[in-house]
Amino acid sequence: MITCHLLNGEFSKEEFDDFTPIVDVINQNRRALQEMPFDAVIDLLVKLGRKIIQNPEINTLQGVSYISLWLRRKNLEQIGKTNYGDCRYLDTFVPVDNHVALSAQPRGVVCQWVATNVPTLAFFSLAQAILSKNGSIAKVPEENSAFILALLKELSTISTSSNGVTYHGRDIVRAISLVSFEGRNPEISRMFSLIADCKVIYGGSEAIRSILALPQKDHCETIVFGPKYSFSVFDRAYIESERFEKALENSVKDIAVFNQMACSSPQVLFFEKSRYSLEEIGSKMKGYFEQLPPLLRHQDTDSAILANTINMRSRFLLSDHQNIIVPDDLGWTILMDTTTRLEDPIHGKCIFIKEIESVNNVFDLITRKIQAVTVCIGDEEKRCSFAREATYRGVDRIVVPGATHDYDQPWDGILPLSRLVRWVILKSES
Amino acid sequence: MTAGPAYDLNDLLLNPPYSIPNDEKNQLLLPIVRTQLTGAIKNNHHLANLFSKLDLSPDDIRRLEDVPAIPVQMFKYFDLKTCSEDRIEKVLRSSGTTTGVTSRVPLSKNTIINQIKALKSILKDHLGGRRRIFLVIDHEGINDPTLEFSARTAGVRGLSIYAKKIFYLMREENGELVLNLPIIEEVLSQYQDEEVYVFGFTYIVWSTFYKQIQEKNIRFTFKDVKVFHSGGWKKLKAEQVSKEYFSDEIAGVFGTERENILDFYGMAEQTGIIFVDCECGNKHVPNFAQVIIRDPYTLKPCSHNEVGMIEVLSVLSDSYYSQAILTEDLGYTIGIDDCPCGRKGVYFRFQSRIEKVEVRGCGDTFRE
Repeated sequence: MITCHLLNGEFSKEEFDDFTPIVDVINQNRRALQEMPFDAVIDLLVKLGRKIIQNPEINTLQGVSYISLWLRRKNLEQIGKTNYGDCRYLDTFVPVDNHVALSAQPRGVVCQWVATNVPTLAFFSLAQAILSKNGSIAKVPEENSAFILALLKELSTISTSSNGVTYHGRDIVRAISLVSFEGRNPEISRMFSLIADCKVIYGGSEAIRSILALPQKDHCETIVFGPKYSFSVFDRAYIESERFEKALENSVKDIAVFNQMACSSPQVLFFEKSRYSLEEIGSKMKGYFEQLPPLLRHQDTDSAILANTINMRSRFLLSDHQNIIVPDDLGWTILMDTTTRLEDPIHGKCIFIKEIESVNNVFDLITRKIQAVTVCIGDEEKRCSFAREATYRGVDRIVVPGATHDYDQPWDGILPLSRLVRWVILKSES
Repeated sequence: MTAGPAYDLNDLLLNPPYSIPNDEKNQLLLPIVRTQLTGAIKNNHHLANLFSKLDLSPDDIRRLEDVPAIPVQMFKYFDLKTCSEDRIEKVLRSSGTTTGVTSRVPLSKNTIINQIKALKSILKDHLGGRRRIFLVIDHEGINDPTLEFSARTAGVRGLSIYAKKIFYLMREENGELVLNLPIIEEVLSQYQDEEVYVFGFTYIVWSTFYKQIQEKNIRFTFKDVKVFHSGGWKKLKAEQVSKEYFSDEIAGVFGTERENILDFYGMAEQTGIIFVDCECGNKHVPNFAQVIIRDPYTLKPCSHNEVGMIEVLSVLSDSYYSQAILTEDLGYTIGIDDCPCGRKGVYFRFQSRIEKVEVRGCGDTFRE
């Protein structure tokens, strides 16, 4: 059974046996989005950003303030430019040579498998489909559907005018459907995959592999945001600089946001040997963990994650060369040792901090699964050289403390918008 | 009563197992635990690390709830022996069904004797202390000493204390459990008028034994029967089999009442202590042990009826850290000293194991 939470601009629950009636509606409605000037699309999203932050019923929800910031005109235009080079491609044929013009057409219906771990993920996934003028059918986790529906309801009330024509947010919303269904149901998953002109998949290894194994249309493009891992590295000069305290404070926030469940969440912090011992650095971090706002300090954490945290704390307490810094509860955990290795994530603000001889020692730990590395190296040339080597070995994003979760483009080494469109050409005879 | 020499561990084991009111018991256990922990730290550098890093001395411990609890998983990673190597008689190895890594529980002669005494005391409370015919709902191979120790083998070995004769009601055929019909016929023809007790792993009792017995339409009618079963509730709940329905159906097979079908909770790392359902469906804590339910987030003791992680404290062992073991099971206390069955102490109920959820996000591992 497929539960549809939004269809044809109607925010009501409806049950379906298959996706045919849903995809028919989306295919019909996406035309209005495709014909909307790209500037008008951006304008509507910018207005949405302003509106949600003013709505007291929404602006207290976690992630809304970030979404509002992300929907700034400058940011959206930059995203368009980074992905398309020239945003006019979305609206018309743009001459690129004497006899050739280039344009970008939406792929059609984008089916999105959205993971549970980050509540705002569904919004960013849909925003990409909107900015490429595609219709969307998004499989959204039940627990996050109310959040995304609230944002889309706001969008449906917005309009903007350009050159005497009024454009409506509801036309964007009418090109979107939100569905939920049992992911382990092979038949429904198969049907969902088969209606897609483009599949966008977020999730862990098991989910990604099972979705990739589903049959699909021959022309279907598949964009995978698979399992990734993030960590941080600090060199001695940076640790001994004035910037260190602020960087630690921001790193603690990076650990706390999303309760360490995002692929961009740091799991290990490596510190080059410096005048501060690991215990001293841990103590500084303790102070910043204690200063976290209550919403981040006490987040709902699955009991299995809590059990893993308890186990890891005990392993470090019983062992000979490891130690921990913890509060009375399981709100956060600092695990300290000197082994230069990445650790399986525990999540729930459980961070491994490690002392290393040189920042270069982490190069051998890098695989193609490393998404973000927060690099705190004071000397810009050294930082750039580190970044070249780290990205060659597999890292997708080199970031700074406090900005590891910034949803910028490219992401996971991909410029998604440019893959959400078909690049088409128009040749002329003379 | 205050802590003092009036009781020692032997006294606790000799008394009826649910005879001491909870507060009094806590006072009795505390000095025993302190003494055991002092020895543990002396003999095990891992435990010395633990107490040192926590900046804690056994003498500082004022309440049982302050004894550092070691998660049960730690038996997989550390040698938690608390006596000299030459005193270890055998090492119990539990199955590593989840991680593939097995737990190691080192047992001294003294610990084994204590565990046997404890188990005898608990079983006596339910069986009346008379030896009986023991029917095992499993195959004989499960008791093979060369195989890994599992909850099934622990149950069979532990409960056989009161057996005057053992019959295995199942046998293995091509890796499947099937009814051991010649044995069942022998039991039916020769032992119907006997006092009998039965043990089986809950899921096996239901999924193989009960189903096959139904197909063959076999019924037992013993003079007196108690059916003990343990483990596997997760699978039964997935099949939507309630505890009441299970008990009624199994009672029907053995021609007895629901009250004689006794679910119990126990673990290989705390052998000697099983928490058996009383007539009211509650699990009671014997004199030589304690149970604390802890909030998984704050680790503070929960109020009654509040679900948390089950911690089992025991004074039975002088050979490994049994003094406070935190399980990965969830349960809740119902009350203290006032169960209508008359047994003293904390009484509680088991709810479920902690589910090992798949992290459904994108940041699951760094390994390619």
